[in-house]
Amino acid sequence: MENSHIVSRYDKNLGRIQSGILDMGDLVISQLRQATDALDNFEADTADHLIGTDRAVNGMYKDIYTRAERLIALRQPMALDLRQALAPISIASNLERIGDHAKSTAKRARLLAGQTPDPALFAVIQKMSGMVQAMLSDVLRAYDDSDTNLAADIRALDPEVDQLNKDVFATAVAAIEKAPDRAETYIHIILLARGFERVGDHVVNIARDVHQIVTGEDLKSADSIN
Amino acid sequence: MEHAFITARNASVFYGDKQALFNIDLDIAANKVTALIGPSGCGKSTFLRSINRMNDLIQTCRFDGSLQIADQEIYDPAVDVVALRAQVGMVFQKPNPFPKSIFENVAYGLRIHGLAASKSELADRVEWSLKSAGLWNEVSDRLDQPGNSLSGGQQQRLCIARTIAVEPKVILMDEPCSALDPIATAVVEELIDGLRKKYTIVIVTHSMQQAARISQRTAFFHLGNLIEVGATKDVFTNPREEQTQNYIMGRIG
Repeated sequence: MENSHIVSRYDKNLGRIQSGILDMGDLVISQLRQATDALDNFEADTADHLIGTDRAVNGMYKDIYTRAERLIALRQPMALDLRQALAPISIASNLERIGDHAKSTAKRARLLAGQTPDPALFAVIQKMSGMVQAMLSDVLRAYDDSDTNLAADIRALDPEVDQLNKDVFATAVAAIEKAPDRAETYIHIILLARGFERVGDHVVNIARDVHQIVTGEDLKSADSIN
Repeated sequence: MEHAFITARNASVFYGDKQALFNIDLDIAANKVTALIGPSGCGKSTFLRSINRMNDLIQTCRFDGSLQIADQEIYDPAVDVVALRAQVGMVFQKPNPFPKSIFENVAYGLRIHGLAASKSELADRVEWSLKSAGLWNEVSDRLDQPGNSLSGGQQQRLCIARTIAVEPKVILMDEPCSALDPIATAVVEELIDGLRKKYTIVIVTHSMQQAARISQRTAFFHLGNLIEVGATKDVFTNPREEQTQNYIMGRIG
């Protein structure tokens, strides 16, 4: 923010919300990484740890929501200030949902631990996870820097994640037809890929929020009209 | 924007040697509330007072340029200022009822402008005005009581009733709620929203939230210049000018 607010506490309160988003984002990225690692090398402690951090993530969401609500109620911000106060509620909600996907992945890792893996499909899942983690890390940077170009680059990456999800689905369905006795394993794999595809969608939502904060333009409604 | 009811072109106002308004071009639409906002001394009240030539009362004040209401040049020397002010009513910051009864406060303007042919017509028009100002139900049983016996919010609605009694085309409001509590403010704001169906309303307010709530168009003034005018929803969500954004967000420009 180039110009400081006359009420200095306003900038301080907004700064706390913004740093809360970055902290929450970092925690969610580490959740995704740990959940993905658990697919390779499952340890019961990891899943328990992730369930614990999910509670922390939910608490961070509530904290950001409460701070943003208070800022809006007490300061009645306008224009860019209003978007900066409102967007964290949406961003934190998307981060919280990504945290839920990480938890689901860890639970699925527990279910898959005793089963024979499919190395080729697992490699695709790992790739999807790596991609969405990088996208999430970048979108947090775009948020911190109000960088709409970076936010646009991130949105452009999502179709690739979607395509990997479709590839996993097609390969898994073909594998089930060949080996119906392993259907359960492949269904878990389909759901894992679907989970990371949804994470990509949440990252895109955050990238749209970044665009809207800076420009005031609502890409979500523009996309739904087109 | 649709056809403007009030049109300012190259409008400048001077107090002696000091220029208070610089070449303002502004169109004000009929049946809409237009809010004039800006920091103290920005010229918004000077502009408001130019619309009914209230500035004429200040000897050193001089107007340059054009200001038309319904295509009539109001600074034309042939214009009858008293008749103009009947067409362009004004409500002030502080409620200022006359030291007369509630009835007489409203009847006074009707009498001096000869707008009621009989006692019963006068009573009907007073009743209509008080009803239009949303005050009738609260005062109908005590019309002979002094106007200044009413609460602040009621007094302001009495002043609005007095203004609309003479059926103006335009109502100017200079911070009409700044002396009122939040409930009285909400009642007056609701009234303003109803009145715009019949009148063209221009309001000066220091409350950004009030401007956002009650106006359809907003004009931002700064240091005697019109910086930006547009639909209120745009000005308060995504203003075009950085100066506007800094002001409405309470940031130092």
